[in-house]
Amino acid sequence: MAVKFFGQFLVENSLVSREALIKAIDLQDQKNLKLGEMAISMGYVTQTEIERAHNAQMSKDMKLGDLLVEMGILTLNQLNDVITRQKNTHLYIGEALVLVGALSAEKLQQYLADFKADQAQYVSERIELPGSIANNLVWEMTADLTYKMITRVLDLQFRPGKCQTVTTVDSNFMMAAMDLSGDVEARYIISVSEAIQKSVAKAILREDTVDDEPLEVLEDTVMEFVNVVCGNVAAKASQMGVIMEINPPVTIHPPATGLSVPTGHTGLCFPIHIGEDNKMELIIFIKS
Amino acid sequence: MKKVLVVDDSLSVARQLEKIIADSGDFTSVGHAKNGAEAIKMNHTENPDIICMDMNMPGMDGLTALRSLVVLDKDVKVVMVTSLGGVGDKFTEALKLGAKNVISKPFEADNVLQILREL
Repeated sequence: MAVKFFGQFLVENSLVSREALIKAIDLQDQKNLKLGEMAISMGYVTQTEIERAHNAQMSKDMKLGDLLVEMGILTLNQLNDVITRQKNTHLYIGEALVLVGALSAEKLQQYLADFKADQAQYVSERIELPGSIANNLVWEMTADLTYKMITRVLDLQFRPGKCQTVTTVDSNFMMAAMDLSGDVEARYIISVSEAIQKSVAKAILREDTVDDEPLEVLEDTVMEFVNVVCGNVAAKASQMGVIMEINPPVTIHPPATGLSVPTGHTGLCFPIHIGEDNKMELIIFIKS
Repeated sequence: MKKVLVVDDSLSVARQLEKIIADSGDFTSVGHAKNGAEAIKMNHTENPDIICMDMNMPGMDGLTALRSLVVLDKDVKVVMVTSLGGVGDKFTEALKLGAKNVISKPFEADNVLQILREL
């Protein structure tokens, strides 16, 4: 029911053992050279030059390859050669499992097809963002996965509204937020009305009624929904080559005047239309 | 009946898991710890057969607690229950540290019980 990577799918379904998976991952670690290692093996750079670039990375927020080009150690063509060689020689987890004897080649094809079918529900659909937003594909995927989780986890029917850039977010009954860090920095927020909060609570707690539940539990269910979405967003981001760390969720009780987008951030608001008096929004504050 | 300790800062997830455990007929819940430090204490006092533990918690997180639990108790069986299960590096780290399996959120009762019964 969640975004998974292939090895996890195999272990969860007892198709390979955890020990076999660890063995296959260790083999991948041995065979799949990192960018610096590959550049050395191709004779483009020396170990000393890689260490110099790693030291420079401490004060510069750049990927190693870009930094090697900027420092004049690699040409752009050489960098592209290294990346191509990395891609062409990459040992995938399925191949590694066959090599360590955990799977036959036939079983691998069958399980890959099963995995593809299992994950088909999370294939992203295109969502349009306004203007030029950095890492737009990540935020489009984030919105798309949020919509999919509203359907699958909350079982709510809705119509997504057009995404807009905002400087202030309208107030609402409550909001649950999670800070995202790593290759991208942002705050992910779900804003809900009182009625939507109860719908979320019913779905998360799997109860027909939540009228007697304390407010603490009701708020916790919205935070848990945010946690589930953001964890799955991080999983999908890692498949896109983007490292995203998540932090424990928090609740926000916005003032009547609304919530201002912090300085140095771009605010995106995705209205989620569920019905009259049922206000729900996905808001993302993206650090510029 | 096997005893299960649930470790999650979320009250709602703890309730979901405790309900699945109570309805199973095979397992019984010995309580709910809200972070890794509480999990280590309750593993000592309640001596559970299985620990179902979240990764992303305030205070001591799940992977830090897992590191300590496997050193303090060689027989401990920990299953991570997390929304980060699909992040390959996190999944691999949990298995390498000694977790018996990783369940992704959102989860289904059948899937949780199948994994617990295999331990």
